Amino acid sequence: MTSWKIAAAWWAAAPLFAQWINYPSPGIPRLPDGRPNLSAPAPRTADGHPSLAGIWQLEPAPCAPDAIAACGGDYRGGREFGNIGVRLPGGLPYQPWAADLVKKRTADLGKDDPVAWCKPAGALRLWTYPPYRKILQMPDVMVILSERDVTYRQIFTDGRLLPKAPSPSWNGYSVGKWQGNDFVVETVGLREGTWLDRNGSPITEGAKMTEKVRRTNFGNLEIDVTIDDPKAYTKPWTVRLHQLLVPDTELLDYYCNDNEKDSAHAIGK
Amino acid sequence: MPSGNRARGQREVARMTASAIVSIVSLLSATLCAPLAAQWLDHPTPGIPRAPDGKPNLSAAAPKTPDGKPDLSGVWYRLSPKYGRNIAADLKPGEVQPWAETLVQQRHENLSKDSMNTLCLPLGPAYTTAGDGTTSAGMMKIVQSPGLIVILNPDLTYRQVYMDGRALETTPNPNWMGYSVGRWEGDTLVVDSFGFNDRTWLDSEGHPHSEALRTTERYRRRNLGTLDIEMTLSDPAVYAKPWTVAVSAELAADTEMLEYVCNENNKNREHWVGTAADDRKSGIKVAPEILTKYIGTYEEQPKFWSHVPRTVQITVSGAALFGDMDGRGMTPLVALSETSFSGLYGLGVDFVRDDQGPVTQLFVKHVSGNYKFLRKK
Repeated sequence: MTSWKIAAAWWAAAPLFAQWINYPSPGIPRLPDGRPNLSAPAPRTADGHPSLAGIWQLEPAPCAPDAIAACGGDYRGGREFGNIGVRLPGGLPYQPWAADLVKKRTADLGKDDPVAWCKPAGALRLWTYPPYRKILQMPDVMVILSERDVTYRQIFTDGRLLPKAPSPSWNGYSVGKWQGNDFVVETVGLREGTWLDRNGSPITEGAKMTEKVRRTNFGNLEIDVTIDDPKAYTKPWTVRLHQLLVPDTELLDYYCNDNEKDSAHAIGK
Repeated sequence: MPSGNRARGQREVARMTASAIVSIVSLLSATLCAPLAAQWLDHPTPGIPRAPDGKPNLSAAAPKTPDGKPDLSGVWYRLSPKYGRNIAADLKPGEVQPWAETLVQQRHENLSKDSMNTLCLPLGPAYTTAGDGTTSAGMMKIVQSPGLIVILNPDLTYRQVYMDGRALETTPNPNWMGYSVGRWEGDTLVVDSFGFNDRTWLDSEGHPHSEALRTTERYRRRNLGTLDIEMTLSDPAVYAKPWTVAVSAELAADTEMLEYVCNENNKNREHWVGTAADDRKSGIKVAPEILTKYIGTYEEQPKFWSHVPRTVQITVSGAALFGDMDGRGMTPLVALSETSFSGLYGLGVDFVRDDQGPVTQLFVKHVSGNYKFLRKK
């Protein structure tokens, strides 16, 4: 494929005339040529904690130059988007019923994925979904804004405790605290029926999710996600999600249910 | 369950069925989407001034951020019964383009079948004025940082207001939430917005707008518990002149917003059948001497949740009964029997007489239950 065709494929998927899409992020360290210095130290907030603020994307999977459109065009996904356990030796430790379910969901081409029906992606998939996310860090709350569905997740940092008998919800209930340079988030109350990845890895209501987030330098974020869900998995498992800073741009506004006509064609197999 | 939770739960049910609810089938199916008991509803908001009995001191001074600006952060109820229903309520005849008036009539006749609430789409510019005082549709959480203010909505959408000095672009790509920049004028936050798509309704009646719509909002936190909001709308293709509406917001202390996902199990719309004319056809004639007995002002007891109780006003015009709740606007009621009426913005009204005959109270009927209003005069 010639380079102009690649460019055309990219543009076909890109929104036109988007706003502030080339807006320079204020206050970020830059190289002499004006480009952001992504290997500069992680910034800090006024209260001395690392600042996680910025727009982030899951590190995209390697993609051959002639397959960019197939890799998702301008929304190139990371490998964990398809399979959250892709880097775990032996894969995710599914309970037998969960393994069967994932097999069925994969065979059905993911037609029952809530995301395919314009439902929320859930707390974990806010990290792995191809559209960008923006972190806003305040002393009492961390807010994650997602491009997908103009939606958000809140992580409370005002010292409140997790609810004891949470009513299940798509984002669950999250509280976070700092342990040194790690931001540690605990989440309960996740809703059964949420998929953790495109393969359809399940989660049950008793699950607990722990995220350890650290900004290793200006341009990189590491998130170690641990899922403890004995009903669905034979043991707790931890995966590392690597997020890259996306400087000098802004979030776009994408709403799945806008003119949604795809679900009728999702017939599986 | 504490009464606070119960009231919130009821409001959530009401939220599900916001906009015109006339079809009984819609009512029944809407209840299927109601969320269960939720978390942190009674979580004390940290760091707010309190009276000796522990209640939030809502008349305390408005807090400030470290840089000396008023701090608008918090969970708020926006109360906008009048403009939530009719954004053009203060405009004169002729100031709305005839095609737009016709469209509003059609949308009313179709029982708001294509409203944002039935299609599960964002409200766009209408979030600011959507709170009708009955549901939690008007709840918002403001998160204020120096360079960016974020407004979180219960339907899990958000809006960003840039405070870093950038200007609105001149040819924005229209989107659902528009593009917003804000600045401080003294103690007032002034937010200019532009670039909305033209698919949202400005109110529950269905007043339209074009892509040229511009809004300017002015937010002033009068004290800890009160946020005064004014919104000026300018859209010359539809409205003859810019106009300003006022919205009041109350601090929702010691609680959190619930997650509401319209598209969770949205099977309502296939049942959204019929027209407003069907309702009128099923009406019966009630003698004027009976209708006049209902005239009066009725106040909700116990009050629902807001700082002030909801109020219903009943009048007679011609040979028909009219009702108004909280200034939303007088609307004709359709008699189903001598004491039972429909048509109060999709709600029912039942009048109750005491043993001696005078009408002493009414019930506003909603899918979540009947709400009692006592006659004041």
